[in-house]
Formats: sequence, structure tokens, C-alpha cells
Amino acid sequence: MRLEMSSNRQQRLCVAMMRNVGGVIVLSLLLVFVQLAAGESFSPPGTPKNIICRSPEKETFTCWWEPGSDGGLPTTYALYYRKENSDTVYECPDYKTAGKNSCFFNKNDTSIWVTYNITVVATNALGRAFSDPVEIDVVYIVMPNPPEEVTVTVIEDTNWPFLRVSWEPPEKADTRSGWITLIYELRIKLENEDEWEVHPAGQQKVFNIFSLRPDSTYHVQVRCKPDHGFWSEWSGTTFVKVPDYFPRERSMWILIAVFAAFIILTFTFIWLSYMKIHNLKHYVLPPVPGPKIKGFDKKALKNGKFEDIFSSLVVSDFPPTTSNYEDFIVENLEVFVPEEQELIMEDSKDLQDDSIKSENSTCDNDSGRGSCDSHTLLIDKGGGDKEEALQSDQEGSQDERVPTSPEEVMEEDLLACCDEKNSPDISEKVKFTPSLISPLPRYNLMNQPNPPEIGKKHCLSDSLLNPDSLPSYFTQPPSTKNDFRSNPWECNFNHKQHPLHPQTTGKEHLQVQNEISWVHVDRTEASLGVQAPSVRSTEYVEVQRVSGGNMVLLHPVSAGQENSGTMSHQTEHYSRVKTVNNDSGLLLLQKESTGEEMGICLSEEEVESRATSNGYTASITPTSEKPMVGINSTLPILDDRMASGYVDTATMFGLPTY
Amino acid sequence: MKQNDEKGVPMSSTSICTNSQTGCHFLSLANLFDRVIHHSARMHGISNDLHSEFELYFLPSKNRVSRNCHTSTILTPNGKENAQRIAREELTEVILKLLLAWRDPLWHFHQNMARHHKFNNLSSNKSLEMSEMVHELRKGVQKVAEKMQMLGIISNSLGTLGSREALLASDSPEWRLMNDYNLLYCFRRDSNKIQNYLKILKCRIVPEHGC
Repeated sequence: MRLEMSSNRQQRLCVAMMRNVGGVIVLSLLLVFVQLAAGESFSPPGTPKNIICRSPEKETFTCWWEPGSDGGLPTTYALYYRKENSDTVYECPDYKTAGKNSCFFNKNDTSIWVTYNITVVATNALGRAFSDPVEIDVVYIVMPNPPEEVTVTVIEDTNWPFLRVSWEPPEKADTRSGWITLIYELRIKLENEDEWEVHPAGQQKVFNIFSLRPDSTYHVQVRCKPDHGFWSEWSGTTFVKVPDYFPRERSMWILIAVFAAFIILTFTFIWLSYMKIHNLKHYVLPPVPGPKIKGFDKKALKNGKFEDIFSSLVVSDFPPTTSNYEDFIVENLEVFVPEEQELIMEDSKDLQDDSIKSENSTCDNDSGRGSCDSHTLLIDKGGGDKEEALQSDQEGSQDERVPTSPEEVMEEDLLACCDEKNSPDISEKVKFTPSLISPLPRYNLMNQPNPPEIGKKHCLSDSLLNPDSLPSYFTQPPSTKNDFRSNPWECNFNHKQHPLHPQTTGKEHLQVQNEISWVHVDRTEASLGVQAPSVRSTEYVEVQRVSGGNMVLLHPVSAGQENSGTMSHQTEHYSRVKTVNNDSGLLLLQKESTGEEMGICLSEEEVESRATSNGYTASITPTSEKPMVGINSTLPILDDRMASGYVDTATMFGLPTY
Repeated sequence: MKQNDEKGVPMSSTSICTNSQTGCHFLSLANLFDRVIHHSARMHGISNDLHSEFELYFLPSKNRVSRNCHTSTILTPNGKENAQRIAREELTEVILKLLLAWRDPLWHFHQNMARHHKFNNLSSNKSLEMSEMVHELRKGVQKVAEKMQMLGIISNSLGTLGSREALLASDSPEWRLMNDYNLLYCFRRDSNKIQNYLKILKCRIVPEHGC
């Protein structure tokens, strides 16, 4: 029994032990399973990825791959490659040189311009994994090493230091033989900054950097790249310290100078503005002196009066520019009043020799007092009614006119002939003032003392008279005998109005037209005729007026008049007409004083010269015989008797003398 | 900035040389080399562009097995040592062969592209330019060879042999079988070879001028 009990016990122990062992086994198995579930699984390796091949110098190259999972098992990697157009599979010759997971192809194994087909295989206990094949051509996978020996120096030759960066190509890259051509690039930045300034440098190995900031540190790096390839890594940073320098900038000084000048100019302008602009303007631009000549009066222009218009233009001494010759009427008319004439003539003696004496053409045979001098004929601007009357008459026609009064006579125009002569001698005589030239105050002919004063007889010089001006004048110098010679060169304007003179009832008007230079003598009345010729062979023609048409109105001095003693007086003054100019008529009148010699003031040559000019107005001394004398462009008809004292123009010109 | 335009012809080479005639000739030879190198670089650039474009737009099938350039018959040094070891005449000859071999294929390629409008205008112009350049470059290299021969740098053994091989290569119908992508690929490589060979040749003959 006990046995039975012990066996039972033993059986129970065994069962317990067996249970323990089983539990342990189960536990261990469980543990193993648990472990297996939690830890790596063994599997075939993962595929290698990202195979990268690079060649630093185009002579060798290296490939790197990225291994995949190894499957928990030791995995081996192998690289296999095939060359172009060849099925031979080669394995990487060198797994070590380039490190883990790399394959290095040395020069012998490297062929340029050959396509490599590279595959990496991962192998482990469970399997293999093939990577994707990669085709490369070494030419296109060149990535050189960074440039070496990068040196940066500060060049301080000038005021502006700059950096000179120099480097060398990587050692392995054979640029000398032309196998590889590298291009470089550098970058620089200040120490504190983050951004680099990149400068491509081409194939050169030196580079300058300017515009540096003084007293600062720069970082410089360089890299390179082959023609077709990859950029190298940046070289190691080179530090450079730029010294402190003062930028003595020349341009800065220039800028300062310009600015200062600008400020100075500004202040100058402000100062000038404070000054009176008026003063300144006067200082800078002095006022232009005004014209002395009045010029045209605009108001007068509007009015349309010529006299007014031109009055401003005319200088007092200057001959008037009025076209109306009648304004030239001699102010002083030589009134042919025998008695008076004598008196006047007396007075006129006082006149200077060179004064122009106008004398009435008191038909003085002897009135050779023609002044010889002036070759020009001046027509005074006479004033007065006479003139106007005469004008009107004259203009209207060449008809005869009868002067109404001595006053009128006085106002007859005189032709001034002398250049230098001035001042009509006798007031009563027709004074001739160079009315052509200048307007002279009109005179009352009766008030003769004035004439000498007037006397500005201007003898028109040739220059003064234009061809169109009246050239001719008739002078009849009924001057005194005494004066006749005394003043041979006096130019006298005689014109006397014969009509005034009782003796001269008729007037002969000589109208001389200058241009035409013909003298048309009208004898208005035949009353002249009687005595005039007898008294003198020559009759003096008085110039009555000078018409605007350059007509000289002449009326002969009757011989009878001349007979009077006044003639003698008048002979003192005789005028000789000198031709004004070539075109003007030559009018020579001389009154030959009785018995007195008459100098021919006018030299015959002169006369001739003048006579030769075109158109002459003949001085006509019409004789009473002929009521009408017409003289055409040639000339003056002189009495023979007068010839001695007169310029026998007729002879000169071949005209018949009357 | 001081810069040297080294991509172009160095200015120093254009100076009037007063040295001996030989020196002047060398100067002009270096100048010639620079020109042809520059020309070949441009040609390679164009081919590279076309290839990339082709690869981009005309995604080639994986079936690019027949990477068999018709110029593979021409033996070319495929390493630096080989290239440096080869004789100058041979190297020159290789260059000329290559250039000759590509004359017709490029022309036909351009015609093909233009006819079928496979390229855009820009690419079409590039293909035309490429075909013209290979023609001109060959003439340039011939001039260089002549000058080298004149200077006695290389012997006169150049010529007929090379051309014959080249003619063979060009006459081979292989290139007609190439598809466009392969053609571009092959030419890109060959233009690179030409450029490289020329550089090597220059630095061997006139090393003092920018090597």
C-alpha cells in the first residue's frame, strides 16, 4: 500500500515535472515566437538606389550607390557594368578605395566616350536585389575638385586698394595638356553678411575685386567646372582683411566745390534780387540813347498831311523833302520896283560878296550881276501868297500870270544859285534862298532889309540838286553896276516880276522845265516887248517860281525896266545861272551892266560843260520882240549885247539869239 | 574688373609678330587652333542642346540598344593617355575622319527634321547650323593640318588614308538606320571628341598660347 502511495506520489511528481518542463518549453517557444515577431525579418535585400558616378578628372570615376534594406541579413553589394556594345559584364574592380558602397574605376578601367551600363546588385542570404541600370559616359560626369591654393591679397598701390584673388586648378585635373578645360567662379562676402557675391571668372586664374569697404574682413571662395560637367565644391574660405584707408576721393572734392559754387551763386542771386533791379539793369544794359531824329510821326501819318509828316524829318537846315516845289518858293521875292530897287540895291551892296543876291530882274541890260558861282539853282522857298498864287498859276498851266502886286513879285521864287552865297541881298529883290534845299522863312519882299539876313542863300551845289530839280534859273541881275563886277560870282536870283513892274505888263513866263530842260517862255503880254528889247538886248528873265514839276517860271524883265536906273542897281546883282548839274538846265543870265564889264563869272567852259549835259534849261532872255520864245532844251538866248556880259549860251548851243 | 576673355581668341595672338618667321607662323597657328576649337565647342553645344531637347520631347523607348554609331569603325583614342600617345598626324587624321563622316548624316538629319516638322523652328535652325558647322569645321581643320604640314610639325602622311576610311564610314548605310535619337547621341559624343582632340593637339603643338 505504501507502495501504492509512493507510486502515486512518484506519479504525481513526474507529472508535475513534466508539466514544468512542458511549460518551460512552451514558454521558450513562446518567447522565441515573440522575438521573431518583434525583430527584423530576414528578407532578400532591398534594391540599391541612387547610383551616382563622378569623375574628378575625366580619367577615373567613382560610383556610389545607396543600399536598400539588407533584409536583416548581411548583404553584399556588387556592381556590375557593361561597356557599350559589349555584353561582357564586368564587376567593379575596386570597392574599397572610394569607401563604402562605392566603386572606383581606375584609369585602366575607364574609357572615355564609352557608355557604361552599371548595375548594383545587393545580395543577402535570402535573395538578391538588382538596381536600376545607369548609363553613364565619363565625359559628362566630370566634377572636378575645388580649385586649390586660393590666395587673396590686398593690393594697395593706389589710393584705392583692391583684392586680387588667385588660385590654381585642382591638381588632378589636367588642364595643361588640354584634356580638361575648366572655368572658374568665385564668390565673396563680408564677414557679417550672409549673401555671397558671385563673380564668374572664365578660364582665368586671377581675379580683382574693387570697391572694398575699409577696415573689414572678406570671405572668398572659388570653384570650377569643366566644359560639360558639374561644378566643383567651393574651395575653403579664404579670409582677407582690408586695411583701413581714407577714401580721398577726388570726385568728392569736386562735388564739394560744385556745391559751394552753387551756394555762392544762389546767394549772389538773392543779393541781386534785393538790389534794385532797375539799377542793375541800367548797369548791365545801359539804356540805348534815343534817336535824335524824330522820325515819322505816326499821328501825322494818320492825318495824311505830308507837310506834317515830313516836317519832322527835315532838319532845319536841310532842304525840305516836300515834293511840292511850290513850297520852295523863295521867300524873298525880288520886287522889281525901280526906285525901290535902287534903294534896295544900295542896301544890297552891303551884302557880302559871296552872298547870293537876288535881284529883281529889272530888265537891266547891264544886270550882269549874275553871280557866277553857283551852278546850282536854288529855289528858295518863298513864302507868301505870291508863291501860292504863282504856284497855282504855274501848276495849272503855263499860262501867263500876272503878278498882282509887288508883294507877289516879291514872293516869286528865286532860284538860288550860289553855293556859298548866302543871304539874298535885297529884300525887295527877289531873294532867292535855296528854297529847294531848305525852307526859309518867307519874307515880305517889301521889307527888304531882311533879305540879307535871310540870306542864307543856299546855293545849291550840284550835289544838292538832283537832275530833276530845277536846274535852271533865270537870273536877272539888275544889280548896280558897281556891284556887277564886284560880285561876279554872286549868284543872284533875280526874279522880278515883271508884271509888277509897270513896264512889264506882260510877263513872260518862262517856264522851265528842268527835266525837259526846255524853257518855254510865254509871253503873256506883248507889253513887254516894247522896251525890253530896246533897252537891252538881253532881257532878263526872272524866275518866278519853280514849280513842282521842276518848272521854272520865268518872266523876262522888260527892257524898259532895265532902262531904269535900277538896272544899274540891279546890275550889281546878277545872277548867273550855272547849270545845276548835267541834267539840269544851264541857265545863265547875266545882266550886263552898262559899260561895266561883266565878268563872266561862269566860265565858258563851265557853261559848256554844263551845256553839254542833257537838257538844259535855257535861260531865256526874251526880248520884247518876240512875245513868245520858246526855248527848247537848248538854250538860253542871249542878246548879243548881253553876250559880253553874259554867257552866250545861245551861241554855245547854237540857238538863235534874240 | 580685370577679366580675360579666354573663351574667345586671346588678344595677344593677334599682335603683329616681329619675331622670326617661325614664331609668326606659330602665332598664327595658335590662332588657327583657337578658332577651330572655338568652332568645335559651338558645334558641340548645339548638338548637346538638340540631344537634350530630343530626349525631352521625344522620349525614347528603352530600346536603345543599338547604340551603334556609324563612326565606331573609326578608331579613336578614348583616354587621355591614348590621346597623348597617339601621333599628331593620327590625331589630326582622326579629327578629319570624324568630321567627314558626319557631313552627310547631319545633312540628311536636317532634311528629315525640316520635312517632317519634327522640330520647332529653333531646333530646325540648330540642326541646319549643326550640319553647316561640321562642314566648315572640317575645312578649318584641314587648314590647320596644312599649316602644320607646312611648318613641318607633322609629316605629310596625312590625307588619303584617312579620307578613305572616312569615306567608307560615310558610305556605310549604317547611319541611315540610326534613328534620330541615336544620331543625335552619337554626334554629341563625336563632337566632344573632336573638340577634345583639337585641344590636345593644340596644347601639344603650341602649348605656350593658353594651355
